[in-house]
Amino acid sequence: MPIVELQHVRKAYDTKIAVADLSFTIEPGSMFGLLGPNGSGKTSSIRMMIGITVPDSGTVSLFGQPFRRELLQRVGYLPEERGLYKKMKVMEQLIFLGQLRGLDAQTASKRAHMWAERLEITPAIHKKTEELSKGMQQKIQFISTLLHEPDLIIMDEPFSGLDPVNAVLLMDTLLDLRKQGRTILFSTHRMDQVEKLCDNICLIHNSRLILSGSMREIKSRYPANRVVIHFTGDANFLNHPAVAESKNYEGHAELHLREGADAQQLLASAVQNGTRITRFEVMEPTLEEIFIEKVTESARAMQAGEPIRA
Amino acid sequence: MHNIWLIARREYLERIRTRAFLIATILIPIVMGIFVFGSSYLTSRAKFSSHVAIVSADPTFAADLKHELQTGRNRMTVDLLTPSDAVRTRLNNDLKTKDGDLTGYLWVTSPTQANARPTFSYIPRSAGDLATQNTLSNSIRNTLTREGLVHEGMGASAIDSLMAPVVIDTSKTGDSRTAFGAAYLLFFLMYMVIMLYGMNTARSIIEEKTSRIFEVMLATIKPEEMLAGKILGVGSVGLTQIAVWMLAAALLGSTPLAASLTHGGHAPISATQIFFFVAYFIFGFLLYSSIAAALGAMTNSEQELQQLNMFLVMPLGFCMLMLFVIVPAPNSTLAQIVSLIPFCSPLLMNFRISLTTVPAWQIGLSFALMTFTILAILWVASRIYRVGVLMYGKKPNLSEIMRWLKYS
Repeated sequence: MPIVELQHVRKAYDTKIAVADLSFTIEPGSMFGLLGPNGSGKTSSIRMMIGITVPDSGTVSLFGQPFRRELLQRVGYLPEERGLYKKMKVMEQLIFLGQLRGLDAQTASKRAHMWAERLEITPAIHKKTEELSKGMQQKIQFISTLLHEPDLIIMDEPFSGLDPVNAVLLMDTLLDLRKQGRTILFSTHRMDQVEKLCDNICLIHNSRLILSGSMREIKSRYPANRVVIHFTGDANFLNHPAVAESKNYEGHAELHLREGADAQQLLASAVQNGTRITRFEVMEPTLEEIFIEKVTESARAMQAGEPIRA
Repeated sequence: MHNIWLIARREYLERIRTRAFLIATILIPIVMGIFVFGSSYLTSRAKFSSHVAIVSADPTFAADLKHELQTGRNRMTVDLLTPSDAVRTRLNNDLKTKDGDLTGYLWVTSPTQANARPTFSYIPRSAGDLATQNTLSNSIRNTLTREGLVHEGMGASAIDSLMAPVVIDTSKTGDSRTAFGAAYLLFFLMYMVIMLYGMNTARSIIEEKTSRIFEVMLATIKPEEMLAGKILGVGSVGLTQIAVWMLAAALLGSTPLAASLTHGGHAPISATQIFFFVAYFIFGFLLYSSIAAALGAMTNSEQELQQLNMFLVMPLGFCMLMLFVIVPAPNSTLAQIVSLIPFCSPLLMNFRISLTTVPAWQIGLSFALMTFTILAILWVASRIYRVGVLMYGKKPNLSEIMRWLKYS
């Protein structure tokens, strides 16, 4: 039973189409990445998932049931635009938000203290929210999303605006939550985060879905034909027949191999020529490269008027 | 229901702890009191203590008029002068100097025929000083009557008893001056409070819009619950404020000072008046704050709200205008009709109740009409709120708002 299922969801605002015919499913216990450049329709899709807006057509199901507001008690949502009551003290705020999600005051307070400890904001809990830094406020918002121990956690750009230390702290927290069996969906335009964290991804561009599936499966569709070489000496091996394309930045070369070519032979010939190799790495394409390739491909297809295969 | 309570409580606690609440609680009644009682005090004082000069060739008449202007409620300072061109020039110059305290001068021209009245011309410092003019005209008439009666051969004591002021006993309904003052005070208090808290509702919605907090809220609770909680929370703050005022008034009213002010008669504000004031405040607040909520949801900033402000101010201003219809004839047809208009009932029906006995069916009808209107406005407001609260950036036009109403 999928936790989230979108079927042919469509949403238009006035003249702009925000989401066009989007379908995907999120399996329980997975970490799902919703990717796309700015303005591609990520936030619009998320808002429809939690009933802030209603799709023009198509259906949204949560926990295997058609959308009902009551199901939101099991969802934790962190919006892209952070919002907290500025004049309220941190702890009061967390308890208030916890109560709105159906907790009693004691439980909310206990969990809020526990989370504050874990995210290292305990010294700030008796301050007013407006006195805190942006990063602090984001952590508070993060906690408020998790207080009611939701089964499904939806986060819109959770790491934007955080310093690397805090970003890692939150990433680790998300990984912990997944280990506990929660399902996590987050949107981002930072591909490196997705590569590290996600099991499944869905890539949207210009309000259309252009790629979806499990991380491993998507990567396996693309051959491991990228090679990075650090070397000193003779650069002649760059003209080897296995090399399709190459860039040489003074001792740091990035190559694309021809289809079916063996990287091993390239290494052997370079060594024979007397080139000193300090690093030789055969790689899959990065998600970023796949993304860029897909986006340009879809732009071309749109111009040609062909339907897009997802 | 639980969510509405949570939202209302948060809103209430946050507002009641602010310094603005404290200041408004103390300042509004003071300002209102000064406005209502102070203005009537000032106009009456000006009349009694003016300084006028009487220029007359008839010393007896001048002395009588001076006596008249200094007895009873009048406390005028009067100079007696004989007419000449030099005196006229001096007086005119005196009126033109900035720091002279002469209010004006009365020039009496003696009649050319024996039985005719003298003619009077009054040259005031300020053309708007009608109060002094009225007192002068009354006193001149009295003096002339008195002289006429003496001329007819009546004795001084007979004349005095004839001309003594008539006292009307109003002890059954309380001193009508204070009762009227109190009704006026309640009217302006209600006007201020409805205006203030209506705008507060709109402002608090805009605040949540700019801080984007409602996106978190809407992911958990319904927009209707949020709207209801907000209106109830802000409204309770208003009620608290009124309760504080009423309590303070009751405490002051039980002191000997208040008893001496009301001449031991009725308290200026009765329990019935307070009951209706609170009841009409609740309805009036619900009515105007739901309009304000819709306005708040439609706009993005305080500046934009200011432009739409007139939707709140216009009906309230209309009520103010209608006061002039209601004061002289609180039971006229026009007064009955306007006080039944739901937008005006909170202010005008309440005002009529203070002044006169309003039939029970009219009071009942006004509450029924207001309830109906409030429900209708809340229905519209919650729809506008639901959609409008998520719209950023551009201001919606009328056709878009109509579309929001159909949107489910």
